Amino acid sequence: MDGYLDGVLLDQVSKRYGRGPWVLRDLTLEVSGPVVLTGANGTGKSTLLKIAAGVLKPTSGRVVRPASVGYVPERFPSDVKMSASSYLAHMGRVRRAAANDVLERLGFVGSLTAPMSELSKGNAQKVALAQAFLASDVLVLDEPWTGLDPAASAELVSLLEDRTALVSDHEGHFVSATRVDLAGGHVTIELSRVVGLDALEALEGVRSVLARGSSARVVVAPDRSDQVLAEALRLGCSVRSVR
Amino acid sequence: MFGAERAVISLVRYLAADVLRGQRYLAPVIVFLGVMGMLFSSDAGRPLEAYSGSSALLYPIAAWMAVVVATSEDAVRREITVVSAGGWSRVLTAAAVVAVAIAVAMALVGAVWPVVTNPHPYTAREFFVGLGAHTVCALLGVGVGLMFARPVFDSIGRTVLAVFSVVVLTYPLGRATPLGWVLDALGHNRFSLSVLWAGVVGVALVAGAVVVGVRRA
Repeated sequence: MDGYLDGVLLDQVSKRYGRGPWVLRDLTLEVSGPVVLTGANGTGKSTLLKIAAGVLKPTSGRVVRPASVGYVPERFPSDVKMSASSYLAHMGRVRRAAANDVLERLGFVGSLTAPMSELSKGNAQKVALAQAFLASDVLVLDEPWTGLDPAASAELVSLLEDRTALVSDHEGHFVSATRVDLAGGHVTIELSRVVGLDALEALEGVRSVLARGSSARVVVAPDRSDQVLAEALRLGCSVRSVR
Repeated sequence: MFGAERAVISLVRYLAADVLRGQRYLAPVIVFLGVMGMLFSSDAGRPLEAYSGSSALLYPIAAWMAVVVATSEDAVRREITVVSAGGWSRVLTAAAVVAVAIAVAMALVGAVWPVVTNPHPYTAREFFVGLGAHTVCALLGVGVGLMFARPVFDSIGRTVLAVFSVVVLTYPLGRATPLGWVLDALGHNRFSLSVLWAGVVGVALVAGAVVVGVRRA
């Protein structure tokens, strides 16, 4: 494919759904080795993971990823009629990958031949992880510890340690990985007598603009706050506060 | 690329197995077989004329079946499959192959049925014209179904509404649509080249639905 590196490169990636607010703005991230993504709810972790895995296309920016990516979504569906063994066999054939021992290592208990809808949440999650580990290059896992017991959680950490992986985790399971905080801190600029709101919204580094009457609250990435502030003043806005 | 073809073949096996494990395919199959039984319960007319009813029936049934195939995996599992396969185009191509294969199987049933039950004798030529006409109608149906199913329309409600509207509107438009060309030829108990052209439209519709899906996803 077009991958020149083992990991994933996200270059100036931005994402919005339709004409909605920006979920991600100008995000650049290079993943090689294990990387943990943190950030409060709604900071765009799942969106970023879907873009990294190739499920979603970014609105702008560039993504470079290797050929074989494994993906675990935030919630594996609970109503799958297919059995775990045939699901994993099919996924292995699609990838042309040999079966792995991830299920055993995670301590899967339950029937491999019954419909997956009959599995407990934790065991279904182990099947989801086993299919992702069929990938040979990069793993993209969204809250993979959800539903796992302590032994399986610890085993998952050791499975991930020597892999290139982008993992969201807000419970601190994976302390040895490089941490990337998606919120990354931000600067809030309060403006009054606002003019040129559209121009402000379009500036690089602006995460959100909340207008109330003639005033507005602008949330900006820390490294772009000086430029945005200067542009707001140039447009003729009054700055009430910066924090 | 050889690897891509292998991946699509594996995906076809997986998606077909998934459709069979779910039971949503049963409803269109039962409606198809039930109405076929009604259509051919008595003398259905001259050989090709008899095929017009079952061809007209196969169009909405194939559209329904295509929606079943396209939405057999829920949205989240589809995301995993897309990542495993290395892109939307392979998955949507495989889904189209499965939908077309089921539609062609139903076209075969539609073509064989009156040969067995209709009192009029069938020549080999008439049988193959009937099989072709059924296949063309089935392809048109699959095209319409895939064109409005996920990932083009994300909600099943909008999919059903759009497919139903198009299907219902197709019949009164008569010879203005490719379906009309086929039904008109069969209704006059003759074969015409317009059936082939309708087949070309059907193939284009299915391929177009895959392309639109890949762009929308």
